[in-house]
Amino acid sequence: MGLRRTLVAVIAVLTSLTLLTTGCAGSRLAHEREARRNHSGGTGGMIPQLNLPAEFDASVGGLVNYNPYAPQQLVKTWLYEPLMVQDSLSCGVTPWLATKYTWVGSNKLIFDIRQGVKWSDGSAFTPNDVVTTLNLMKKYPAMDVNGLWTSAFGAPATSVTAQGDQVIITFAGPAVSKFSSILGNLIVPAKIYGKVGDPTKYVDKKPVSTGPFLVGSYNGRRLELDRNPDYWQADKIKVQKLVLQGNYDANQAVQMLRNGDLDFYTGEIPNPIKTFVDPNPQLNHVWYAPNGSTVLAPNLTRKPFSDVRFREAMAYGVNKQQASLKATYGLMQVASQSGLTLPAKKDLLPPGYALNGGASTILAYDPAKANQLLDAAGYTKGPDGFRRNPDGSPIKLTFAVQAGFIDYQAVADEVVSNLRALGIDISVVASQPDSVDALKKTGDFDIMINYMAAGCDYVNGVGATLATAQIPTKTTILGNVERYSNPTVDQALKNLNGETDQAKVKDEVGVLVNTMMTQYPVVPLFYAPARAIYRTDKAAGWPSAEDPYCNPQDNARIWMTRLSAAK
Amino acid sequence: MKYFLRKVGFFVLTLWAVVTLNFFIPRLQPGDPAELMVQKLAGKNAQLNPAQVAAIRDMLGTPTGSLWSQYWQYLGQLAHGNFGVSYTYFPFGVMQVIGQAFWWTVILVTIVQVLSFGIGVLLGAFAAWKRNGRFDTAVTLVSTFVGTLQPFWIALLLIYGLGYGLGWFATSGGYEDSTPGFNWGFVYDAISHGFLPALTLMIVTPVGWVLGMRNTMVLNLGEDYVRLAKAKGLPDKVVALRYAARNALLPSVTGFALALGGVLGGTILVETVFDYPGLGRLMGEAVGYKDYPMLQALMLLTAVATLLANLVADLLYGVLDPRARRAQA
Repeated sequence: MGLRRTLVAVIAVLTSLTLLTTGCAGSRLAHEREARRNHSGGTGGMIPQLNLPAEFDASVGGLVNYNPYAPQQLVKTWLYEPLMVQDSLSCGVTPWLATKYTWVGSNKLIFDIRQGVKWSDGSAFTPNDVVTTLNLMKKYPAMDVNGLWTSAFGAPATSVTAQGDQVIITFAGPAVSKFSSILGNLIVPAKIYGKVGDPTKYVDKKPVSTGPFLVGSYNGRRLELDRNPDYWQADKIKVQKLVLQGNYDANQAVQMLRNGDLDFYTGEIPNPIKTFVDPNPQLNHVWYAPNGSTVLAPNLTRKPFSDVRFREAMAYGVNKQQASLKATYGLMQVASQSGLTLPAKKDLLPPGYALNGGASTILAYDPAKANQLLDAAGYTKGPDGFRRNPDGSPIKLTFAVQAGFIDYQAVADEVVSNLRALGIDISVVASQPDSVDALKKTGDFDIMINYMAAGCDYVNGVGATLATAQIPTKTTILGNVERYSNPTVDQALKNLNGETDQAKVKDEVGVLVNTMMTQYPVVPLFYAPARAIYRTDKAAGWPSAEDPYCNPQDNARIWMTRLSAAK
Repeated sequence: MKYFLRKVGFFVLTLWAVVTLNFFIPRLQPGDPAELMVQKLAGKNAQLNPAQVAAIRDMLGTPTGSLWSQYWQYLGQLAHGNFGVSYTYFPFGVMQVIGQAFWWTVILVTIVQVLSFGIGVLLGAFAAWKRNGRFDTAVTLVSTFVGTLQPFWIALLLIYGLGYGLGWFATSGGYEDSTPGFNWGFVYDAISHGFLPALTLMIVTPVGWVLGMRNTMVLNLGEDYVRLAKAKGLPDKVVALRYAARNALLPSVTGFALALGGVLGGTILVETVFDYPGLGRLMGEAVGYKDYPMLQALMLLTAVATLLANLVADLLYGVLDPRARRAQA
């Protein structure tokens, strides 16, 4: 039978091909892993290699661009550098390309530029590079990603000039709250970026940078960075080679981390203690630092959330502990109603709340108290068992949540079941994240989950959730999703914009805290994490709960200077 | 000539419809590309930075004016062969990005489709020849079962089994350590990475061909000319392949051409699961980022490929079926 013979032949060829490729691939991968294992440990206090995920989060490789002002760039952290690095947890400022900053009043900022820093082509880094970079942002607003020249969170800049070793930025008015975002600007070489027209359109294939690493090789997928021996603080950099590769989902990342193919990861992994730490607690570690708050944002323009007494009852009637357990596997602490992340910011609490590190601002789950508050405020139950507005109109609410955000959906389920237990008719409606974003703009929702930034300037952080100017518009999502408006708060934020004296800053932040504690514009549930999921077989000195010296997710520049070879 | 003009007219009309739908459908959904991009860069637990959104809007040149005037502008650009700049990969042009992904998908899909077609048609023909036998029952049953499975689910099984479990294959990406180009290291690397996506598709794709071929072949075997051929004493192999199978192949060839054209859609999930750097992954990403220029170009590419494939199928039909040739002449 010819037909049968052909069939058999085809199958035979396919099978042998399969075996051939599998055999080779298998042994190659195993071999590589073995080689890597032998290399780890390090010699002479140096770490030969660290593997991190790619910083480029799109899939098509081969398009080379190191321009820090392109929306997607191959390297975000290790080439170009900022003037100073601010840690969002402690708010400490570490000198970087600038050694010092000084506010003259609230509308003039002076940076002392570091001497002796070299670009990677050997030329000297000068204040002119800083001036050129910042002025390019004025000429090309597409480059001004931190709003230096716009009126976002403070007055716009009016000039940036060099004077000796100093760079002087003047503003049209009080602009203290712009400080953190100014530090976000990475300095590029004037002699290159100054000549390319619109810098955002420039394809930077051969970066000339000041950072701790230099581009070694890139094959469209695997990017190898080599230690820059002439880096201005080279003595602090112990990593010889960084390999940046891959965008991993949670499952892949866990596998890679467990195998030692990845040394550090900041993505979301469900239950990391169980899936990652428990298999090898000696080497595998997790630290979720409190970085902001996940809050319930009710629509304050609608009944019953327009009533502060209802919101107060809700703050006690929601089981935050349980919500954290379901959404973060209990890794995140219940958040303080003050809006500040505790204990990091406990020194900013006004005297009335400062006792025991602000313990009284963390509201315990107390459904009995919530019921009492609702009864007292006139939200009596109707014949159907559900509460009604004091004017007798029925309450029927929906909780808008982003479909696919598993942790948010878990929170929504918990909150809704808590509120139903209080006799409030509310149900969950999950829809596309885009649609929820659209609701933020139109304001056509009852209640949703929002993120409240902590940050180090409170105009940008807590202020973005409370300021009248930050109510979303028809076209732009802003922080004040719940649509809170209070002239006292707006005045405090305005004052903060012009305030550099820390004692006075504390007074103004006190106004924000008091508002949060008595007006309940939003109800913080638990802290939102900055994640560090890491191994200690090659490198030690990562930021951790025991040594929380920096935000692990946003301040890689800092921890890179603190890593040392594992013993 | 009239026939030719009608065909070209139809082609242009279809193309216009595709271009128009491409333009309007993505824009009917909620969401702003600039906000989306900032949110994705910052992560879910981050406040949207309005200054950054404004800058990105400025950068992408988010269009002003009515949707209608944007549409005319878009048509004008297309006429000049300008597909625009990708939002995700700014400042790279859409065609530059597609060029990077193009061959990955084309090579993978061509190999898979040709092999699937060959295997499927052979299996189907054989099953029909031995219809109601043990082989036929097995093939039909397995095909029907496998046909109900989702490719991405099979992909996940393969990743866990052959990738993580046995560690035989790389589970993500198109290559790893080698430098792309014509060298053995790279070819080998690409094959070992492409194997699981290919296998996934190979499990699912032949099913349609098997069942289709078996059914048409069974019909053909009942025809008089087959009985005549057998009566003439022709060998089984000749009757099966040159007579029955050749005739039964006709509908499959049209189907094959259409399948090649429409293949992009089918690979989105599989490429995404394997992080394979091809067009399907790119398309999934473009949807996620609301990268309108990229989406438009990819959809246009798909449409043109399908239309061209149709044309090729028409031509091939003439080669396989002399009757069609005569009718045209």
